Amino acid sequence: MAVPAARRTTAARRWHLSEHKIAALVLVTPALLIIVGLRIVPLVLGAQYSLTGDGDRNGLFVGLANYRTLLDDPVFRTALRNVGLLFLALPVAVAVPGLLATFLFLKVPGHRFYRSVYFFPVVLSPVIIGAIFNILLSFDGPLNQLLGKAGIAPVDWLGNSHIAILSVIGVHVWATFGMALVIFMAGFSTLDQSLLDAARCDGATLPQTVWHVVIPELSRTIQFVFVTTMIGMLTGMFGLVYVMTAGGPGGATYLPEFYIWVTQGQMNSPALASAASMVLFVLMLLVGLAQIRLIKRATKEV
Amino acid sequence: MPTASGSTTRGIRGSRRGWFAAALVPALALVSAACGAAASQTQSGSGASAGGGKLVVWDWHSGDATTKEYYAKAKADFEAKHPGVQVEFVAQPYDQYYTLLGTAIQAGKGPDISMFNGGAQMRDRATSLLPLDDKVGDLKDRLVGWDAFRKDNATYAVPVTLQGFPFYYNKAVYRKAGLDPEKPPKTLAELQTACAAIKKSGNACFNLGNKEGLGIEFFLSGFGPGVFGQAQYDAWLAGKRDWKSPEVKQIFDLWKKTNDEGWYNKGVNSTAMFMDQFTMFSGGKGGNVIGLISDTAHWKSFDEFLGPDLGVYKPPVSNPGQVTSTFLPAEGGIGYGVMKWTKDPALAVDLVKSLASTDAEKSFFEKAGAIAADKTVDTKSVDVKAAGEIVSWLPDSKPLLHTALSAKTLDLMHRLSQQLISGDVTVDQVLTQLAASDK
Repeated sequence: MAVPAARRTTAARRWHLSEHKIAALVLVTPALLIIVGLRIVPLVLGAQYSLTGDGDRNGLFVGLANYRTLLDDPVFRTALRNVGLLFLALPVAVAVPGLLATFLFLKVPGHRFYRSVYFFPVVLSPVIIGAIFNILLSFDGPLNQLLGKAGIAPVDWLGNSHIAILSVIGVHVWATFGMALVIFMAGFSTLDQSLLDAARCDGATLPQTVWHVVIPELSRTIQFVFVTTMIGMLTGMFGLVYVMTAGGPGGATYLPEFYIWVTQGQMNSPALASAASMVLFVLMLLVGLAQIRLIKRATKEV
Repeated sequence: MPTASGSTTRGIRGSRRGWFAAALVPALALVSAACGAAASQTQSGSGASAGGGKLVVWDWHSGDATTKEYYAKAKADFEAKHPGVQVEFVAQPYDQYYTLLGTAIQAGKGPDISMFNGGAQMRDRATSLLPLDDKVGDLKDRLVGWDAFRKDNATYAVPVTLQGFPFYYNKAVYRKAGLDPEKPPKTLAELQTACAAIKKSGNACFNLGNKEGLGIEFFLSGFGPGVFGQAQYDAWLAGKRDWKSPEVKQIFDLWKKTNDEGWYNKGVNSTAMFMDQFTMFSGGKGGNVIGLISDTAHWKSFDEFLGPDLGVYKPPVSNPGQVTSTFLPAEGGIGYGVMKWTKDPALAVDLVKSLASTDAEKSFFEKAGAIAADKTVDTKSVDVKAAGEIVSWLPDSKPLLHTALSAKTLDLMHRLSQQLISGDVTVDQVLTQLAASDK
């Protein structure tokens, strides 16, 4: 049977199309396999593992027992509370580089010097930063000596259960704000100079210029800095906690990551650690989704 | 030319297909590798590193300069008996050791032999270790400290060193405070008098770093022999622990009271025990410290700095109603266990025996300052008075109180000890929580 010419071309086109599809599929396969094999599969294994027991009950299905243990564990609750504290500290962590970048943009005296100095801590590893601040903040360290000269009683920055977490967050902000500062500087460079000139002609004061011109113009940059800073806080503080307080005093500076590490290594309870990892994963997922929404809304506005 | 063009197309297609295949091969290899990794998790024992006549030992000491001779001797001893078998010592960082080992255990592959601290860390991992009772009969009499490596009447590791908590003191600090440097305190009352005098002279009476919460372990096990009566001490070790007893309360009250009375250096909760606490003591900034007898922070490391000013005493009698004399709390310190996935257990046991040989242990003692688990090691060659005294106290010693506790209870105790110092919790609350954890 002779095939009509028209149908033959369609068939050929179809074959070509699907060949393109195959080519595309083959090209993305390595990347897909890496993501599936190294990300998704371990995630699923971890989720499944979190439903099994530890020690004598190793490998046995225990349902949600690990999650109940987590809920009852005051240390894990402290870790989650400290995550809440990180959220509260977020505006500060964004405002500090924002303000400093504004000063640099306004070319305060010595701005070139400050620009490089502010970035400097970013290149140091958390362990080194932790070690430096261990010395600075120790009970008989320089900071307390300075306070002593001013007639203020010494503070146990890393040994007081109410202050230690604030010290660690403060050091983290100090160590990482340089990166946000660079992003802000990049944002400033895209600022429309004519708007600033117009504001000046209209007689706007500096705070008015910042509030009505700079901040709306930089809204996308600010949101981006919010996202990256939050991710940095949730994932990048292990080193500092490990070196500066080891989770203490009294478990007051535990963060989920540190809890997972201690539970797996020191307590020899990998399944419980998996459950804690899943909680952290869900937390990060929620934060990530909320922030993606924010970014989308922001980009639509502009 | 249609044929030619057709063949060209086919040629391109053919080469493209080959290209697809080339792209697929590594991709498939990746999948099979991933499956292999996932599968080996379940079948523990496969893929152990013993094979081709090689034994892998994990420890946290073989990288030290002071233990070089010990490892060289042990290796030579083993290789003389088993020529052709390779031995590899892998030094892991101590603060990561049990995390790394836990991961290895989870994966079912790792070293053939592992170093362990006696007590909780080993007992928690006993299911991954071979019971050694029928294999080390010839070592039983020569070595001491087995209790720390036993769980449910089975022995899982061979002790190499002993660990204990003597009270070290600095005679120069005692002299400065107007105290007799040759008469260390024998009772808690004498210690309190001494502390008041030392504090007055401008030094800390004790150096203490509780950043990791380890201070309470030293305190509980250090003061325990002077507080607990004999029966209570033995019952505690046997697992019958009454956290609400007046004696336990006395120890935790003392922990809090000594801090409130200013026995310690400032900033206890933010001072690291290793090595800040011991550096302070070595630097002459404190009168006393509860130290170790092996590994680190021991007579040899203090002797380097304090020389003849270093003194040592046994736990003070704190409860004269029940205790008339005290002993040095000491037990098996570190030992070697054989992981159950090793291919040739007999070979691995032989290496453990070499690691516990008298000759090797002797250089561990002389060079690294570890009190050996081997009773037959001649200790006269070392001319440090404190070492001689410690060795002379060993026959009467009893195991440490804190190593009888689980890792979970110890972790809780670390945190609670910090909270006691910062005043966030009362002694009664602490004991209630510990009793609930230690079931």
